[in-house]
Amino acid sequence: MAGALPDDRALALQILNELRGPRVAAAFACGGLLALAGALMQTLFRNPLAEPYLLGVSGGAGLLALLGMAVGLAWPWVSALAFAGSLLALGLAAAIGGRMLARDHTPLLLAGVMLAAGFGAMIALVLSVTPAERLPGMLFFLMGDLAWTSQPGWLWVALTGAVIASLGLARRLDVLQLAPLKAASLGVAVAPTRWTLFALAGACTSLVVAQAGSIGFVGLMVPHALRRLGLTGHRFLLPAAVLAGGCLLVLADALARTLIEPRELPVGVLTALLGVPMMLWLLRKP
Amino acid sequence: MTLAARHLSLKAGARTLVDALELTLAPGEVLGILGANGAGKSTLLSVLAGLDAPAQGQVLLDGHPVLGLPPLTRARHIGLLPQGDEAGFFGSVSDFVGLGRYPFGESGDDVAPHLATWELAGLAGRSLATLSGGERQRARLAQLAAQQPDIALLDEPLTHLDPAHQARLLEWTRHRAESGHAVALTLHDPNWAAGHCDRLLFLHGDGRWQLGTPAELLNPASLEALYGPGTAALWRHAGLPLPV
Repeated sequence: MAGALPDDRALALQILNELRGPRVAAAFACGGLLALAGALMQTLFRNPLAEPYLLGVSGGAGLLALLGMAVGLAWPWVSALAFAGSLLALGLAAAIGGRMLARDHTPLLLAGVMLAAGFGAMIALVLSVTPAERLPGMLFFLMGDLAWTSQPGWLWVALTGAVIASLGLARRLDVLQLAPLKAASLGVAVAPTRWTLFALAGACTSLVVAQAGSIGFVGLMVPHALRRLGLTGHRFLLPAAVLAGGCLLVLADALARTLIEPRELPVGVLTALLGVPMMLWLLRKP
Repeated sequence: MTLAARHLSLKAGARTLVDALELTLAPGEVLGILGANGAGKSTLLSVLAGLDAPAQGQVLLDGHPVLGLPPLTRARHIGLLPQGDEAGFFGSVSDFVGLGRYPFGESGDDVAPHLATWELAGLAGRSLATLSGGERQRARLAQLAAQQPDIALLDEPLTHLDPAHQARLLEWTRHRAESGHAVALTLHDPNWAAGHCDRLLFLHGDGRWQLGTPAELLNPASLEALYGPGTAALWRHAGLPLPV
């Protein structure tokens, strides 16, 4: 017995350092990136219901990742394919709908929605012809799953870079909430700023999707809820969204791992289960 | 500062709205722009503001082409009040008005005088989205006032305002002119135009334009040429004096 305690402690430390710690760190970074991307998308589209997956990012990532899984590729390749798929979706949306971005974001929005619908149909097609034993992994990816994220360091590098870049834009983003003509009259170069937002939000979302699949609701709910609570200036909204999004995903992931131990739930299910009541409560407020 | 349109032509698709306009907007002047719906009034203002390119000609600010000015430099001198669309703005009235200081790199925290001028002090903390149409129009005007531009270009600024606030707006334009700035505004009521503008620009929507004093342009024949046959009677039937 005398030697057991140090061994337990060593095991516990090993679990903390090699499993739980990196996963918590990854969950925080993913949640922060998603909430930041959501806040940027809501400003880009001047719509409080915009969210990171609006441009078909999750559909593009999901389709290529599922194709990789269907042919039996290992996780790093699936992750790379998901990243490529999200960039493909962003590229298509920009090419089809980006020409009028200086004055009108509707074509880009419509292109994204159409692409998301198209990718969704193709994902359903892939799922319907995939052997049953491969379906659970695919479904977890589509619903969001942090089980594969073991190297969170570069996610944190991306999060830090994205926060610094977006805070540098904060005052400009306040002005960009106005109609494009008014924002331009106040000295904002509307098209370049909107393209910067598109690239920044797209990169944040693509990184998360490639690492953890399509975790829903964080990017929509967190910035929207913070705005409803009065944080409307981007100088405060953006860092607050990162903190709140990160904390929400850490909490959701902890619950996803422990609610029905030893089995795990997809974390996206938990973000929705936590987020929907909070959102409904906020909507009831005047 | 002086804003000048030189040989300026505007088009909407293949249709010529304004052809070869020559206009100088000098400090101390209030210019009224009148024309039927779709005649090119809003297009002209956005071109004068340097936000759109004309089909031909150019706009000069103290001799410099406005399209070549850096956006922030342009915004420190030329302010535009477009027709309203604040659907994407989530902040308070005070935050909204404070954005008028953006061209100067200022936070816009000190906009109390502009809120007071437009009777918005009691609404400063309210969400802009909760304001009535008229209150929101006053907030737009307060934002433009906070910008303090040398040249103010106002697109239908009287919209949504009650008569008292319409009168206040026109007093404000006169005050801006008397303090050495220039104002151009689009409007539809010849009576307001007669009483508050130094010169008028009529846009006929087919390339033709007329520039002159209210005394020169405001008569039944020219108004009917502008708005269509029978329209001059509208002001007579309303019992209002048609200024001629």
